[in-house]
Amino acid sequence: MTEEKELVERLSTGDPVAFRELVEAYKKRIYFFALDLVGNPGDAEDISQEVFLKAFRGFRTFKRDAKLGSWLYRIAYNTSIDHLRRRTLTPETVEDTVLDSGNNGFSETPCSPDPVRTAEMRLLGVRVEKALQKVSERERTVFLLRHYNELTLDEIAATMQISIGSVKSYLFRCLHKLRKEFSRPGPSRPLEVSDERL
Amino acid sequence: MKGCRKFRGLVVEALFENLDPGAKPFFEEHLHSCPDCAAEFQSLRDTVETVGRRVRRDPGREFWDGYWDRLSRRLETGGKTAVRGTSDPAAKRFGRFALWNPRWAFSAAAAVVLVAIGIMVGRAVFPPRPLPVAAGRPAAETQPGQDPATDPVLRARIYVDKSKLVLLALVNYVPSGAGPQVLDLSLEKQVSRELVRQAGGLKSDLQGPGRRRLRELVTDLETVLLQISNLESRDDLEAVEFVKQGVESRGIFLKINLSEMGGDLSPSGREPAPEKPPTRKIKT
Repeated sequence: MTEEKELVERLSTGDPVAFRELVEAYKKRIYFFALDLVGNPGDAEDISQEVFLKAFRGFRTFKRDAKLGSWLYRIAYNTSIDHLRRRTLTPETVEDTVLDSGNNGFSETPCSPDPVRTAEMRLLGVRVEKALQKVSERERTVFLLRHYNELTLDEIAATMQISIGSVKSYLFRCLHKLRKEFSRPGPSRPLEVSDERL
Repeated sequence: MKGCRKFRGLVVEALFENLDPGAKPFFEEHLHSCPDCAAEFQSLRDTVETVGRRVRRDPGREFWDGYWDRLSRRLETGGKTAVRGTSDPAAKRFGRFALWNPRWAFSAAAAVVLVAIGIMVGRAVFPPRPLPVAAGRPAAETQPGQDPATDPVLRARIYVDKSKLVLLALVNYVPSGAGPQVLDLSLEKQVSRELVRQAGGLKSDLQGPGRRRLRELVTDLETVLLQISNLESRDDLEAVEFVKQGVESRGIFLKINLSEMGGDLSPSGREPAPEKPPTRKIKT
């Protein structure tokens, strides 16, 4: 019996230790996925915890032949989308979120001793996240799942409940849009802003 | 150029996953032979690499170390968590909510609210019809065209109804269920005396062959009511039992029911069916 199957068996009996193991194994992936989708660390933590609560409460709906990761990502995707739809206030821009992260006690990984390098990385993060906001919700989700969460095309198809052909199509379109965004000149004064925050 | 379309169909797999070994020779050959597709592929690869250099902000070790504690607290405060047979104190505390899905409760509450709203709206739009006067009226109440003073059948109905009430009160009394001190039949005795006084006049008015059964019923009732009116002691349970046995042995309630069903107590405008002479059995 594989490790995941064993975990599934234990979860199905309501084993709290198994639940904790599930949380420990997936908390970072789900958190970062939610963060990429909603752009706010506080919301991302709320969503990730909500995902685990939903997973535990609704574990009887989990199909044994499915993958735990795909199932959790799907819950995370739905929860994040619900969150974005509920959010009535104008969301802060991704750039604000990224730049504000220094004030929230968040640190970057890896922590670079070179402040110039750190600034460049932060600026790149801003540009990528801004570019990702320009693509459609589905294109972004597929790209995030593949590129940052390293799900296979099959797993993404299972998570999003779409065909592999659609997954490829979304990825292809997303890449083209991102390339277009990166081909444009960058923000006129991002480094000044970054310098202030740094 | 030939094969560009097929090449583009393989770009995503080439960038993100290993190409299928069968498609790899074609892909590489086209990549070397088609400058446009090669440039396109290179630019997309650069984009992927650029995006890949982005480092996501990690909240830090402290955040991750406290993640489970915060989730546990959320379980406690939410009270909706879920563990069966658990050794975890927090989960154990809320274990009985394990499989409780609040969704059905909300659905049930919504259904109740909808039904209540439906009833209110229904009552507002379609007010309940007033009951027909006859339906809400006691059986012995006067109907139009009837005069209790001149109609003996109506008087008999009133008499039977009142007698029935007195007898029911007496018969349904269970001595074992209450102490003898609570036996107070003063009202029944008073009503019985009044009914006994009425019985003589009523019997004389109920003349004719069609009233015979009703007359006999009034006579039986008069006898029992006389016994009730003559009860002397408040706590004379033996006398009460004697009266109850008399009611039973005479089949008073059966006779009342038969009279009601047979039309003896129907309004005098409609004569009861004449009593048929006994029919002969046909010998076969």
